[in-house]
Amino acid sequence: MRNQWITACAATAAMALLLSLTSAAAQAPAGGGQAGTAGGRGTRGGAPATGARGARGGGQPAAPSKPTPHWPDGRVNLSQAPGIKGFWNVASGSPIGTGGSGLPTNLTLEQVPFQDWARALYAYRQTRGGLDDPHSRCQPAGGMRYFTVPNGMEFIDQPELNRIFIIDGENRNWRRIAMEPGRKHPPEDQLNPSYFGDSIGHWEGETLVVDTVGYNEKFWFIRGGLPHTRYMHLIERFTRTDFDTLKYEVTIDDKGAYTRPWSGGWNIKWQYTNYDGSPGGEIHEYFCIDNERDSADFALQ
Amino acid sequence: MMKYSTVAFLALALIVAAPLAAPLWAHHSFAAEYDSNKPLDLKGAVTKIEWTNPHVYFYIDVRDEQTGKVVNWAFEMGAPAVIQRNGWTRNSMKIGDIVIVNGSQAKSGKPHGNARSVTMASTGKKLGAGSSEGQTYTEQ
Repeated sequence: MRNQWITACAATAAMALLLSLTSAAAQAPAGGGQAGTAGGRGTRGGAPATGARGARGGGQPAAPSKPTPHWPDGRVNLSQAPGIKGFWNVASGSPIGTGGSGLPTNLTLEQVPFQDWARALYAYRQTRGGLDDPHSRCQPAGGMRYFTVPNGMEFIDQPELNRIFIIDGENRNWRRIAMEPGRKHPPEDQLNPSYFGDSIGHWEGETLVVDTVGYNEKFWFIRGGLPHTRYMHLIERFTRTDFDTLKYEVTIDDKGAYTRPWSGGWNIKWQYTNYDGSPGGEIHEYFCIDNERDSADFALQ
Repeated sequence: MMKYSTVAFLALALIVAAPLAAPLWAHHSFAAEYDSNKPLDLKGAVTKIEWTNPHVYFYIDVRDEQTGKVVNWAFEMGAPAVIQRNGWTRNSMKIGDIVIVNGSQAKSGKPHGNARSVTMASTGKKLGAGSSEGQTYTEQ
């Protein structure tokens, strides 16, 4: 019996190891392994960030990433570099919990400062297995969920025009970040509620900080359905800690659903190949609505 | 008692299955539509293929050996780019091919399933379908 148990454990361990290797290979096809979470903010003043990195999960040692790239004027480059193609492989992520790509400072679900109604609604949504998720019906991935849906993401930085676009392969969506110095959000009564809101950005050293208001309530801002209201105000911080890693930190300030602002984030990895794994490093077209046949068969039981 | 040969078999099975394990984050949760407690193992001829986002769909005619009744089943796979990682191309499957499909049936009870793997009957080649089965829908 004891030998049987030991043998079963050995078989399970072998499976776990093989699965972890398979997963790592699928997620890091070239140029580096699983990056650890880099501590602190990125370095300031144009010097390449060489923050702490390490292997995640205790498996293979991480291949060293190239340093954070910069443009000739010293600004950090959040996009492709000359001669190096690819994109940010946004695919999953959560501001809660430290598993997967989650930051070590993330809250647990129990620590999230829900208002009572929001906690109850979240618990109800969990019993429904994603049945009520607007994104399941191909609605846009608003708020921070923009950085958890697959099909690739890129930054297009146009400093001469004081704007940055963040483009997503998912439904060919885009966000516009206004970078004009001194820019303010429109008055609340002039903001039309939207999936991506009104975004204003500025640089704090190596970190792009984006302040957004004006959201509608027609989307779930993260997979699983954390509630939000029209009062939601997000402060997002993008730091490329090395070439292969983009640290995404977000503060959720929503007096309608939470008792105080709270923060979380995750690391996003660079992908050197096309989304289907072939050589190229270019995002591709994905329209959810193209052949959506699922919602007609959604059912609880 | 589990023998070492059994362990070796399990490890080998996992190596063979590894290409089928590429992660998929579908636009909907598996649980919203499919029931992992309703496993399917069906064989039939391909009648239609929809190589599109958000999911590749294919349809097979499945004949009941006892009644002779033929039912057309619809099967969902991952997005084209996802199953391309598993070795598919848009020409891997053709109308009329006989395939063996493993997966799970829709909760609706209709002849509709989520394919976990597809085996080409003529060659025995097995390809992963990019199923999201097993993934949870909670925060990480």
